[in-house]
Amino acid sequence: MKIIISFILLFNILYSHPHTFIEVYPTITVKNKITEKIHFVWKMDEMTSTMLIMEFDLNANNKLDLEEQQHIYENYFNSLMDYNFYTDITVNNKVEKFPKPKNFKAFIENNKLCYSFEIEKKLNITKTLLDFGDPDFFIAMILKKEFTRIIGATAVVSDLDNDFYFGYRLELK
Amino acid sequence: MSELYNQLLKQIITLQYQLNSYISTTIRNLNDENTLSTLLLVLGIAFLYGLIHAAGPGHGKALVAFYFVSNKSNYKKAFKMGYMISIIHAISALIFTFGIFYILKTMFRRNFNEMSAIAMQISAVMIIFVGLYLIYEAYKSKKIKEQEIHPSSKSEYAVAFSAGIVPCPGVMTIVLFCIVLKQYLLGILAAVTMSIGMGLTISVAGILSILFNKKAGNFLNSKGYILEIIGGMLILILGIFLFTSVGHK
Repeated sequence: MKIIISFILLFNILYSHPHTFIEVYPTITVKNKITEKIHFVWKMDEMTSTMLIMEFDLNANNKLDLEEQQHIYENYFNSLMDYNFYTDITVNNKVEKFPKPKNFKAFIENNKLCYSFEIEKKLNITKTLLDFGDPDFFIAMILKKEFTRIIGATAVVSDLDNDFYFGYRLELK
Repeated sequence: MSELYNQLLKQIITLQYQLNSYISTTIRNLNDENTLSTLLLVLGIAFLYGLIHAAGPGHGKALVAFYFVSNKSNYKKAFKMGYMISIIHAISALIFTFGIFYILKTMFRRNFNEMSAIAMQISAVMIIFVGLYLIYEAYKSKKIKEQEIHPSSKSEYAVAFSAGIVPCPGVMTIVLFCIVLKQYLLGILAAVTMSIGMGLTISVAGILSILFNKKAGNFLNSKGYILEIIGGMLILILGIFLFTSVGHK
């Protein structure tokens, strides 16, 4: 019976699994233990990128023009707010709402669709954690130490045990 | 959840991430260098990708597991079930991808999501019916005092069809990627080999459940119908859960 009960507990992870992989490249500027600027670049896997570029690059010139970028921002990127942009900012053990991203840009690099954006948020790095992952487990956020660029502090990247999905944690020291 | 489970998830993701990247780079290079060995390499990796991909959450493993936990069966049937699901999975993915690509062409992503949601809802309703049917069969077996009621092949096909009808987005992505690069035949072959890999993993879920059934069956002995009812109820709950979760998205 223990096995059956375990099955019931696992119900909510049984019907989704990563199909899209997003590499996260954070660049964070820190001054006196407070974040000044947080900038992210997301690079999607080549297969997903091919599918999305086909839809986004309306004039098929293999680059994303300003109007196309605006279309992506309004119709696709903005809706990720419901998912907190797959980034949980935890301050004093409490998850905060992800601030409205600024300076959004979408571009194609080495056949990959990339999003670039930044947030303005003053965070005390001694009390803050940045956790990356998708609770629906449809998207896998990939963060490696070499993807990070931290100015004025050092980064520690670790695995994140979210019980039902896998993620990465970025801690600044 | 245990550290072990978390590490398993990490390994599944990391391997898929690497294989995904390797497959896409190799397929793209096929345009310049179309050799048989590279083709076979892509198909081999697609098989491995399917094997690992199905090890992650999803693909009807829960449904298969519940079914075999509650019904006396043999390993051959578990393999048959695993491969029925993966064949339907592959056909469904090919039809959806080629269909959406050629009929709708534009707004692919949006339609892709909508079609997937509809397919998942159909699948969930079918799973609910399969659960109800299994409970009914178990109740009937209790009434006629048969301790070993063998599920009809009808219910096996229903289980396989319910789980397989939802096209695997992983397979769809590879197929679409190949279509865009005009590697049509490779797209179909990659979908088939990936599904063979997935079938093997799904079969393992069935085999593990049969093992559990054998052990539990010894304890329950004449009360075997209890296990059948529990299995049917779990499938029913799974169907309801899936139906409501699709509705929320």
